Amino acid sequence: MAHAESGATPGAATAASGAQRTPATTPDGAKAPGEGSFWLSEWAFPLFVATLAAGIFTGTHLYYVYRTGTFSDVAVTALLKGGMENGSYGAAAAFGAGFLFARVIEGPMVGILDIGGSLQTGVGIGIPAMLLAGGVTAPLEHFWLALPTGAAVGFAIGCVILLIRRATVNSSQNTSTFGADVMMGAGNSAGRYLGPLVIIAAATASIPVGLGSTLGALLFYWWKKPLTGGAILGAMLFGLFFPLTGK
Amino acid sequence: MNETLTILLESMVIGALIGFGASAGVARMFHAPKVQGMGAFRTLGELNACENDPVAHFSFGFGFFFNAWASAVGTGALTSDVDHRIVPHWAAALSMTRNRNLAETLHNPRRMAFFGAGVGLVLVSVLNTTAASIPHSLQKVAAEVLGPASEWLINPVMPIVFWMAAVDAGRRTGGWGSALGGLAHVVMGNAVPGIVLGIVVGKALDDLGRTRVTRVLVGAVVALFAVSALLRGVDIQLLQQMKVDVPHWLSRFHDATGTTPTD
Repeated sequence: MAHAESGATPGAATAASGAQRTPATTPDGAKAPGEGSFWLSEWAFPLFVATLAAGIFTGTHLYYVYRTGTFSDVAVTALLKGGMENGSYGAAAAFGAGFLFARVIEGPMVGILDIGGSLQTGVGIGIPAMLLAGGVTAPLEHFWLALPTGAAVGFAIGCVILLIRRATVNSSQNTSTFGADVMMGAGNSAGRYLGPLVIIAAATASIPVGLGSTLGALLFYWWKKPLTGGAILGAMLFGLFFPLTGK
Repeated sequence: MNETLTILLESMVIGALIGFGASAGVARMFHAPKVQGMGAFRTLGELNACENDPVAHFSFGFGFFFNAWASAVGTGALTSDVDHRIVPHWAAALSMTRNRNLAETLHNPRRMAFFGAGVGLVLVSVLNTTAASIPHSLQKVAAEVLGPASEWLINPVMPIVFWMAAVDAGRRTGGWGSALGGLAHVVMGNAVPGIVLGIVVGKALDDLGRTRVTRVLVGAVVALFAVSALLRGVDIQLLQQMKVDVPHWLSRFHDATGTTPTD
């Protein structure tokens, strides 16, 4: 993942120069395909958020019924699981709602909505937790109810973002990027920490698994691949031959 | 209906939906800030890092495919990498096998959306249905290794990374980030949302000063923290830990609304 960070700069440059090169209202038939069409239009955005949110919310329905399928990371899913087991959804709801709110404020201002915080954590964990805390279980139990619920929530989020965008970024006197560059740097480097963390966790679990994880990470690094994949594969492979004994 | 078949059919619908939305949003990111995109800054950086090479895109996604698979097997969570990394990278790889023009492939929401829907359909079905057929010893390793690692990533590693970025971005951003970050951990259980809001508020104040926009922003942030604190019963916990008697009306209010402290 080392190359990810170096890639951030061209990304920022492309995005920034793209904004200067073309005026806000591009007529049809400009150089890039889809420019000015439905796919790049403002009001298509809520529809894309709606499809993604419908999928993520229904994924949580799948998890609620069959224990597989959330689009969140293990630790975040564990918050919801904790609620499903002991009935107190406060932690999952506050965690999810906090992320949802922060990302909905950040999204329109920096031009990119972070789907990890807003949709995966917010719509996938936070909103189900709030529904369950309020005793509303139907949208999570039934597939055909989960789809429209997720889509409606996503559509609403998309519209809120467009409204905030009109009021801030697209207003005439705006000169701020609201910290997009800072967020970009932090977002890029956060993912890089997972590889070493996996090796530490593997070495804590057992010695063979730890050695396997280290070896896998080394090989992947040597092949110029992200460390994380090698660390996980190495741990899994050694865990297959030397199963973890334990509690 | 057979349980595996139900999971398979539902996964196909879910996968097509997330693939469609995520890939269209990712393609729109390349037109930001003129067009509102959806994805993540790291996704943007990683897509650029693959430098228009289908093989690089494919193998990048492949590494995380095993990650997601292991996690799905061990815990039932497909990980955020499905939307952030695997689907965008594989959709990009497929869309540029014949055509290397970025404007017509990776940056084109329509093309990406349809390839993404296909990738998502297959990927989510595979992840959800094969999980049960993995040996038990592998499930245990996945849960015991990936569980703690991703828990540490969410707390405390990610908060620290965002915190340092805020602190390095100037005194005002660092101050707002630190204050809201600490409060967010108390109120929401994780500091990241607070630090993100701190960065937005701090930078907005730096660039715009005290305008209507920044005042509304600060007001919304204060309201969020107040409501979250109330919903989690943080006010009661605070009073109890300071050895102050909780007023009767306050505890009655929390009992009535079902918002007593949970943990």
